[in-house]
Amino acid sequence: MSEQEHLKLVEELARKIEGELTSEEKQAISDAGVQQLLLERLAAEVKDEARTRARHARKAKEEREKKVERTFQRFTRNFRFQHMVLFVSCILLIVTGMPLKFPDWEPLQGFIRLLGGIESSRLIHRIGASGLIFVAAYHLLYTLLSRFGRRDFWLLLPRWKDITDVLLQVRYMAGWSTIRPRFPRFSYVEKFDYWAVYWGCVIMIGSGLILWFENEAMSVLPKFAMDIATEVHSDEALLATLAIVIWHMYNVHINPHVFPGSLMWWHGRITEERMKEEHPIEYEEIVSKEEPEGGQK
Amino acid sequence: MLAGLTCLLVPSLLPAQLQMQKCMICHGKRDFRKILDSGEVRSLYVDLNMLQKSVHAKRICVDCHSDVVEIPHAEPPKRVSCTRCHYKGNPEGAPQTDAYLDYAQSVHAIEVAKGNPKAPVCQSCHGTHDIQHPKKPGSRVFRAAVAATCGSCHLDEFAQYRGSIHGTAVAHGNPDAPTCTSCHGEHRVLAPADPSSTVAPAHVSATCSTCHAAVGIVGKYGIDVEQVATYQESFHGVATKFGSRTVANCSSCHMTHDIRPPADPLSSVNVRNIPATCGHTGCHEGANANYAKGKIHVDPERPEAGIIYYVAAFFKYLTITVMIGLALHIALDFNRKLQALRKGGHE
Repeated sequence: MSEQEHLKLVEELARKIEGELTSEEKQAISDAGVQQLLLERLAAEVKDEARTRARHARKAKEEREKKVERTFQRFTRNFRFQHMVLFVSCILLIVTGMPLKFPDWEPLQGFIRLLGGIESSRLIHRIGASGLIFVAAYHLLYTLLSRFGRRDFWLLLPRWKDITDVLLQVRYMAGWSTIRPRFPRFSYVEKFDYWAVYWGCVIMIGSGLILWFENEAMSVLPKFAMDIATEVHSDEALLATLAIVIWHMYNVHINPHVFPGSLMWWHGRITEERMKEEHPIEYEEIVSKEEPEGGQK
Repeated sequence: MLAGLTCLLVPSLLPAQLQMQKCMICHGKRDFRKILDSGEVRSLYVDLNMLQKSVHAKRICVDCHSDVVEIPHAEPPKRVSCTRCHYKGNPEGAPQTDAYLDYAQSVHAIEVAKGNPKAPVCQSCHGTHDIQHPKKPGSRVFRAAVAATCGSCHLDEFAQYRGSIHGTAVAHGNPDAPTCTSCHGEHRVLAPADPSSTVAPAHVSATCSTCHAAVGIVGKYGIDVEQVATYQESFHGVATKFGSRTVANCSSCHMTHDIRPPADPLSSVNVRNIPATCGHTGCHEGANANYAKGKIHVDPERPEAGIIYYVAAFFKYLTITVMIGLALHIALDFNRKLQALRKGGHE
């Protein structure tokens, strides 16, 4: 505001309140000091109002953006169901199996007593085993019969790109490069998880069935084959448990990106932001398919 | 004091030896006997010579038979109570021991208390007038004689034990081989069904391990000392530890008294007998020759385990490699993400 404008404002103000003011007060308004004071107050008021309005506008905009932030259905209900059966079974199997591998460790002995002794812990282990066998069989049918199952299985097969992605990602994480690999629907981390479970299921179910039906198995298998099954079952159990506790726990809980945990196993959705970040190739494919149909974005 | 009291009671003040001779007037006769109500003939002869070679050579009859106060005895003399002298702190010069307290907890004492006339008291094992120091070869409880002493009641067990590797070794004078008391305990013999017994299913492997895990004992004879450890790591051993009473312990397969080396065709763990042993009712019914194909006590950490050793080694290195790889990936990723977050925070 220029000096002239200020003066004009003050005169206008004086005219508006003419009838209410005494001549002495009118005289005072025309005084330069009072004029300055009025101007300052007015300017502060205007500034304050402008700030409040801007804040409201920003909030409303944020609210609007939040509502329209896109999510993508990453895992179908069927797939989430499989994952739930898998993790419940694995937890049952691990808590009743590990004490048998480390029988000298007191807390584990106490835990078995808590479950009601070895006989009930064996029963729980076999309930877990039934769950694992069920989900393994279910998943095989899912990969064969479901359209999504077939698509995901195809996308989960290891490719040359996975190896180059590992190298790129290591280079990026080590800070030697700012280039990050661009992942498709399944990154090498997810492929590793998937095939680790695949291999684990084959080994654990195979050796576990031999141990479960040991009398039937030994009518055809020699004693040393049983010993191999025992050893394999015990060692692969430790490998799988460590992989879950260290690797999977980090990726879905401790990793700063998801801490304290991702709920994707429950709702199966992924935000657009994480989609762009973690699966840019898949994101672009989806978006490019939408555009000809005149999609929202 | 005891001798003094006796002198007062017995109507004689004769010195000890003369008093003994007085008893021997009757009890020194070889045909001195009594026909019991049951018709059983009971010899009442005492071989004075035998008594004088025993640990009680310096004792006189009434020191033990303290209820004998007149001749002929108005009441049949009662059974001698050894605890009159044999307790810790006794002033009689008897060995300072509380063994009778252990005995009081034993299955033998429980049977005696129940009124079982066959249940043994001290004299049943240690002898009466012929009692010798347990470390002397003439004693009924000397190492070499224990089995026969126990076997005087436990006939079947004695017969089995005598043919076992333990029994034959003891008979040949082996100082390390076990006799009955080595496993069952001496005075505190508990029934196998008693959970605190050394031969209760939960304790069998620990009892066997006192020798079979000791390099200084079985190691001397070239017997593997790992057998107990491999058992304890096997499913049988682990389940036993966690309270199962249906899985096998050492004696389920190796038998209890009739333990024989695997090379013996009569052994329960002879290759030809393994199917029958494993196929024991309630265990692996229908067990066949497959049960004998492979080592029974397997230690996957030793190359002797054959293919199992290589499987275990494969998994060991696979696990180590995978875990190092995953841990490195996690460390790199975490570090990078923290850096990014810190930068983001400053901007």
